Amino acid sequence: MSALSIRPDFSALEIPMDSWSEPFWQAGAQGRVVMPRCITCGTFRWPAGPFCPACHTQDVEWVDAGQARIYSFTVLPVRGADKEAPPDYRVPTLVTFDNAPGVRLVSVLVDAPVDQVAIGAEVTVEWVKGANAVLPVFRLDG
Amino acid sequence: MSAGKAAAAIVGSGSTPYYFRGESAPQTLLELVDKAIFAAVADAGLTIDEVDGLAFYAFGFDTAMIIEQLGLKNVTFAHCVSSFGSGMAGMLDLAAMGVATGRAKTIVCVGATQQVGRRVGQALGSFAASPDNIFHRIAGLQGPGQALALQVRRHMHKYGTRREAFGEVVMSSRANAATRETAFRRKPLTLEEYIASPMLADPLCRLDFCLENDGALAFVVTSAERAADMPQKPVYIAGASQVGTSDLGRAFFWFGQSEDMFTTAGAGPTAERLYALTGYRPEDIDVALIYDHFSPLVIMQLEDYGFCKRGEGGPFVESGAIRMGGTIPVNPHGGHLSDAYVVGMTHIREAVEQLRGVAVNQVPGAKTALVTGGPAPTPMTGAILRNER
Repeated sequence: MSALSIRPDFSALEIPMDSWSEPFWQAGAQGRVVMPRCITCGTFRWPAGPFCPACHTQDVEWVDAGQARIYSFTVLPVRGADKEAPPDYRVPTLVTFDNAPGVRLVSVLVDAPVDQVAIGAEVTVEWVKGANAVLPVFRLDG
Repeated sequence: MSAGKAAAAIVGSGSTPYYFRGESAPQTLLELVDKAIFAAVADAGLTIDEVDGLAFYAFGFDTAMIIEQLGLKNVTFAHCVSSFGSGMAGMLDLAAMGVATGRAKTIVCVGATQQVGRRVGQALGSFAASPDNIFHRIAGLQGPGQALALQVRRHMHKYGTRREAFGEVVMSSRANAATRETAFRRKPLTLEEYIASPMLADPLCRLDFCLENDGALAFVVTSAERAADMPQKPVYIAGASQVGTSDLGRAFFWFGQSEDMFTTAGAGPTAERLYALTGYRPEDIDVALIYDHFSPLVIMQLEDYGFCKRGEGGPFVESGAIRMGGTIPVNPHGGHLSDAYVVGMTHIREAVEQLRGVAVNQVPGAKTALVTGGPAPTPMTGAILRNER
């Protein structure tokens, strides 16, 4: 499995947004990863939503999430029309952020040597084109 | 539903045949449901006219259609536990409450699945995209097994749990199903065969995924007093618990569980409440019917329900503890992994058969049975059944 994980084509994917999640996507358009932090108690909430689960404040401030690290992942074989051909691999990956404790973001790890993916590895968020917004995927650092 | 005498009992059990995914067509889903209800009512020695309550989970069924099709005239209780397969055991709680409070006298609990044109295993991919689930779509997580693989990997990372332990869950289930004529996977399995099974969602291989079947099952619940005079040996509902907590939330649909909860099946608070309600401890359970959609989740539930310490579920099952004759026999019918998958319902059926003393693989003298709802979004549910009031 030394192949590179696939880089899916998201160009037709519509990103549904609501008033609470929109700032995440707007920051992404500028290449930034931000997460919503409660202005009263500092608890992060994810996905973005109307109330802080800890103190029930509504307002948040969006802060830079910091370095992303792999919390867990799986490896999915992806087969084309030829079922006998060796599969490609898609790597759904869950990351944490150094500056947003409690938040876990799941997306896909692209262009990664599949046998070198490991819990704890540092990754960078790359923003790629969707139908109506850019969306975050992960790449291994280094 | 608490310690002391039970208020309610299961007095009838009915099922359609189990079909390979999609092969129950051209019967409709409600046709299967109706057939299971007729069978359960007949098993209880009752007539369909006496049914005055319905209890469901996993979004239930079209109550009005069932009432129309069965010609029911006076349904005074029709309720649903608000979760997925996680609510399965909570359905028994609803029924017990219904008869204990006099809301209804004869409540039928129903569960069914029919996978024509859609598969439970791809359930996540079939939901409409929303701001809250779009990331699973981007990641490529189409089904529960793919998503749970991330939690399983973390359990292995944290506790050193081995694939051999998952293999033992599957091998034990297969050994139990071998004697069951209606089971779908009966061929004994070796560890070598297990290890060689292709990865579907690493670290989950094909054999870690349960079956996908069509079928319907129903159970008749009535008061314990009335149960004493009915033809079948009553199976009393000793207690059932339903717990929702933001520590679990939408579970693998979310991945925002608390740090401790992430490597569990999410059933810990439910188990704690169930033991408190009934006064039982894990050592009091004679047979455990553990929701086994994916083999590692059996190990995580054994930890949640206190059959072993947190993180020690792997070595516990590898010791042979869940085999027939082991410390806690698990799924003597073969479970979802080897017998059939009908969203947990076959586990209630097996509990009833064990406590009636008529199971295909009978645990000698079984008096108490645990039934767990499936690891899925909160609320999670569990129930303890027994054959003495």
